[in-house]
Amino acid sequence: MIEIKNVSKTYDNGTHALYNINLEINAEEFVYIVGSTGSGKSTLIKLLDGEEVPTDGDVIVNDVNVGKLKFKKVPLYRRNVGVVFQDYRLLPRKTVFENVAYALEVIDAPKDVLRKRVREVLKLVDIADKSNAFPDELSGGQQQRVAIARAIANRPKILIADEPTGNLDPRKSDEIISLLEKINREEKTTILIVTHDTEIVKNHPKRMIMIESGHIVADLPKGANV
Amino acid sequence: MIHRFFRHIKEGFYGVGRHLGMALSSATAVMITLVLISLFLILTVNLFEMTRTIEESISISALIQKGAESSHEQIESKILMIEGVKSVDYRSREDEFNYYLETQTSDDLKDFYNTYRDVNPFRANILVEIEDGGMLQGIKAQIEKIDGIDEVADGGANTYTLIGILSNVRIFGGALVLSLCILAIYLVYNTIKITIASRSDEIWIMRHVGAKNGYIRAPFLVEGVIIGFLGSILPILISVFGYIYVYKKIGGSFFGAFVLLPPHPFILYIAGILVAIGVIVGFVGSYISVCKYLRMKR
Repeated sequence: MIEIKNVSKTYDNGTHALYNINLEINAEEFVYIVGSTGSGKSTLIKLLDGEEVPTDGDVIVNDVNVGKLKFKKVPLYRRNVGVVFQDYRLLPRKTVFENVAYALEVIDAPKDVLRKRVREVLKLVDIADKSNAFPDELSGGQQQRVAIARAIANRPKILIADEPTGNLDPRKSDEIISLLEKINREEKTTILIVTHDTEIVKNHPKRMIMIESGHIVADLPKGANV
Repeated sequence: MIHRFFRHIKEGFYGVGRHLGMALSSATAVMITLVLISLFLILTVNLFEMTRTIEESISISALIQKGAESSHEQIESKILMIEGVKSVDYRSREDEFNYYLETQTSDDLKDFYNTYRDVNPFRANILVEIEDGGMLQGIKAQIEKIDGIDEVADGGANTYTLIGILSNVRIFGGALVLSLCILAIYLVYNTIKITIASRSDEIWIMRHVGAKNGYIRAPFLVEGVIIGFLGSILPILISVFGYIYVYKKIGGSFFGAFVLLPPHPFILYIAGILVAIGVIVGFVGSYISVCKYLRMKR
């Protein structure tokens, strides 16, 4: 499903972010990508969602060579990759329902399909009772649930979560990871979580890829000792 | 599709409302520019009309050598072959003499001059009408070379100077209108740039849920069009009422010589042009701005 072959990335300012990375992630896998700040995690995410192109090598997602995608094709590709961030990035003037519906509006989903799917995902992330609330009326955990609902609304095959628990307390963090596990199970979505929160990795053990200074230093299967 | 179209329109209005101060300041800048555009447009079009009238009335009088009158038809056909010649009109010595008499207001004088009919001092000539005042000198030189032509009269250096001035004023006016349009585009471009910067989060979200660039661009284009349209309202009112007022005040012409175009339908065309310029500069300014932003990031 995801193949990263001999990928290196050097930014225009000369910063080397990744060195000859090789990685394979199967469909429906649940993977942690861990590493310290500046290790190259974020660059890896940007390569996966098409925001950056590799300097060398190939990033292949569902048989699509992301780095070689034409500019115009990037939006269509992104419909298969949901992204969730630490700071939620919800539209403050839209309700919970509207925020999630937005992801379907931009791809021109028919209204009835849109309503049905939004209700479905809000129920899945357990926030259906807040559908008319605005983001600033919600707690951090609730806002992250809405962001996850938006990211999976158009049924992407991959969900990338960049520090999804970064702003949450341990209990809420645990709930969010449990929710992502549920999505992985029920929606058959491949999940990639970028984190440096070792607690959640311990409490929800999965395959873990460790990146440091642009190199993969370890690729540990589920259950291996950290 | 229709639903999406109305959503973009709604979002465009929503965007203007959200950045009302910025939108209004930009519309004001466009407004000032459009007032200037309108002023120069009205002047240029009126000057164009005046120049056209003057140029159309420019004619050359080719005097025929004494004794060559009988071959005037050959001379006429030679003149007609010259490029830029619209028409020729032969006037015999008698025609000229009669015309001179007709111009006399006093019957006594007419009778007096009539006694000189036998020694008619006028010369036969061919009145040549030309298509474009700019071709005057060239045509004159070619007529002079024709056998049987004695002299060619065209009004002299003053005619060339007038044509030159009017032509330069026209070019200058056109260039000024174009420069002002570019200025207006730049003003809208800057406003939309600031709007985009303040909405970068929203654009980021759109991109990451798979919105195509056209979808992201549309509300900003609507916003630009609204700004351009708002900016054109006051210039239209100023132009329409101002022109009608000036036209009435001066009685339709400056010093009785430079005749202005009547307000109807001229000023309505100007109003239409101003709306079109406003909307187009709004659209183009916004388009350049949003495209530049979207091109910067994948």
